[in-house]
Amino acid sequence: MSPHAEPAPRRIAILGNPNAGKSTLFNALTGLRQKVGNYPGVTVEKKTGFCDLPSGRRAEIVDLPGSYSLQPASPDEMIVRDVLLGLQADTPPPDLIVFVVDATNLDRHLYLALQVIELGRPLLLVLNMMDMAGARGLRIDERALERQLGVPVLGISAAKGEGLPALRELMDRDVEPSARHFRQWPPHLQRVLDRLEQRVPRHATLPARARHDLALAMLLDHGEDDALARHVPPEALADARTIAQSLDQRSPDWRSEDVTGRYEEISTLLAEAVIAAGERGDRRRDRIDRVLTHRVAGPVVFVVLMGAVFQSVFAWAQPAMDLIDLLVNRLGTVVGHAMPAGALRSLLVDGIIAGVGTTLTFVPQIAILFLFLCVLEDSGYMARAAFIMDRIMSRVGLSGRSFIPLLSSFACAIPGIMATRSIDNRRDRLATIMIAPFMSCSARLPVYALLIGAFVPNRWVGFVTLPGITLFAMYFLGIAAAISVAWVLKRTALKGGRPLYVMELPPYRMPSWRSVLITVRERSLLFLQKAGTVILAVSVVLWFLASYPKGGAAVHALESQKAAAVMAGDSAQAGVLDHRIAGAALEHSFAGQVGRFIEPSIAPLGFDWRFGIGLITSLAAREVMVSTMATVFNLGNVDSHVRPLRQSLREATDARTGQRAYTPLAGISLMVFYVLACQCMSTLAVVRRETNSWRWPIFMLVMMNAMAWVASFAVFQGGKLLGFGA
Amino acid sequence: MSAAPRDASNAERALDALAAGECGVISDIDGDPSIARRLMELGLVPGTDIEMIRRAPLGDPLEVRVRGVHLSLRRTEARHIHVAAR
Repeated sequence: MSPHAEPAPRRIAILGNPNAGKSTLFNALTGLRQKVGNYPGVTVEKKTGFCDLPSGRRAEIVDLPGSYSLQPASPDEMIVRDVLLGLQADTPPPDLIVFVVDATNLDRHLYLALQVIELGRPLLLVLNMMDMAGARGLRIDERALERQLGVPVLGISAAKGEGLPALRELMDRDVEPSARHFRQWPPHLQRVLDRLEQRVPRHATLPARARHDLALAMLLDHGEDDALARHVPPEALADARTIAQSLDQRSPDWRSEDVTGRYEEISTLLAEAVIAAGERGDRRRDRIDRVLTHRVAGPVVFVVLMGAVFQSVFAWAQPAMDLIDLLVNRLGTVVGHAMPAGALRSLLVDGIIAGVGTTLTFVPQIAILFLFLCVLEDSGYMARAAFIMDRIMSRVGLSGRSFIPLLSSFACAIPGIMATRSIDNRRDRLATIMIAPFMSCSARLPVYALLIGAFVPNRWVGFVTLPGITLFAMYFLGIAAAISVAWVLKRTALKGGRPLYVMELPPYRMPSWRSVLITVRERSLLFLQKAGTVILAVSVVLWFLASYPKGGAAVHALESQKAAAVMAGDSAQAGVLDHRIAGAALEHSFAGQVGRFIEPSIAPLGFDWRFGIGLITSLAAREVMVSTMATVFNLGNVDSHVRPLRQSLREATDARTGQRAYTPLAGISLMVFYVLACQCMSTLAVVRRETNSWRWPIFMLVMMNAMAWVASFAVFQGGKLLGFGA
Repeated sequence: MSAAPRDASNAERALDALAAGECGVISDIDGDPSIARRLMELGLVPGTDIEMIRRAPLGDPLEVRVRGVHLSLRRTEARHIHVAAR
């Protein structure tokens, strides 16, 4: 080795039950030196970070997903099992496992700990939340626990940073794996497992003892365990299924005998290691829950809290978005003045800078939304929200966990889809991702506002106005579509065995600002990387489509008129002609040609080629449609022309017939199209990332656009039949 | 576990029949064996104390306390958890 070569970092995995404080410890150890990705082929998040050990050696730390058992019941738990058993190709088994348990719930947390200790890999047992244990009078004999388990034991408080130096010290040392065995199998089961173990192929990274766990997994498998299918020959799996059936006939209890045995073992163990049991209840929690999950107060608090969150997202994000808009426009102007007119300036100003601007204006909303979501999650309230909403969501086959991601999608589907990571059931998560874009996001609002202003008369109907009803109907249509799609998906593509909806309601905790800020930063960066690049690319492509080919007879004619106006000193006329030139140039461009090309396919919906151009430029972001229409209708591409734009839309004529181009019915039809269509390319990019496949985003694109077309067709043609076409 | 004669012990009830604040001891979990296994892995092994804390505002799911941990369970699962008086 050359003297400069750095030694390979020590690979350390943090493992434990959900709510053990793993992530807090991970954040405390690694700080901002983290990267987040996915395990290949699955939707499970892979968090890695780096920290320096006292000897100067570097440690690469993997934060494994929270699990309850080595016999997996979810994709997360499957990954944990595969990493620990050495079956996960991209993540070799760690040099050291830091196993985190909640000291105040030792018995439940030791269940997985014993399973993992038995694998015979180097392991440190970290008793977290020792401060809370102490406050409740719980006293644990760490040395006794060490003797019984055969692994080093250390009490810490990750949230307060207590015991972290000692932990780093231990993480630097070589730890002997435990030789302990805790499980006792009934003899008939032992024989079966011994026999099945022989069928597990020998694998270099698979510890001898883990073969036993795989044998048990073979017996318990329902055909959903991918790693088994990869590593064990199909005949052996079929044999295991036959054996399981014959065991079932004797008594179905064999499936849980090892669980009961292990819990017995744990109580024996703790009888010695726990010196004083302390107070188990948490009075503060009981007091808070009596209000937050109360029959009446609970839902009221929930609605008020959600309302406050969304109000803040819009209220706080708006100034930041305006500021970004302003700065980007300034930059565009500065660059525009500094460069000679031409294709390059146009690309830079109208393509790249505008695209970056569009991307950046999303960031405040995303960051603020995740700030709230993260505080709600870390404080423990999110689980209560799911508890309150579960009944309603169960009607469409989802669980309470799907509610907040869907609610977030009213701001923007992208953070909503990213927030589905808190849904542990894979099918529910996919169904939630697929319906999130039906929630009317904030980018649709300017489009609704434009079309309602143009086509819906401002009349009072009882206590409400017609525009108000229309806007409500659009939001409602999106929700109804989401419910229907979820209902269908959960009965077809995402049908599965009856899942177990059990969820821990963790104690209330003060969120750690450090953890919250790390999450907000990470989600915002993820958005910029995944969605931002797509928005930028789409913006540049759209710039090209809208700018080329140059010229055209109409543009030339208008340009000579403008020259004449300038000569005559009529600057007002020259300005008007400028806008008409922009409109004619757009009409002549590829975008205009595409608009005309797709016209036959959208004509049955009541749209002409001008709406076609709007549909195309919406691919960057839906609200771009408004400024595109402004250009098409010769108003210049300034957003402040909403009022004249409404009028232009109302008065637009069809060049061939000379009649009104758009009836109010066409306006409604276009709004319905915007409710249902999948137009947002960055949403698709995020779906691609979150599902780790192309299948789901493609399905989303086809499904949503087909629904949009059919619904708009039904509205326009049905409305005409009913006599609303005038 | 299932060997316990159910009809003989009239004190045994399904978990979802417990009123808020009522305690009991888990005697048996029947129904889908993999769901039963999972519930036991979460600490609901026979012989464990369990307390009904409350029902969600719409009546489902339920909140129970087992081994100091609060869990939310749907009634469809709670129906298969049998509880004896302590």
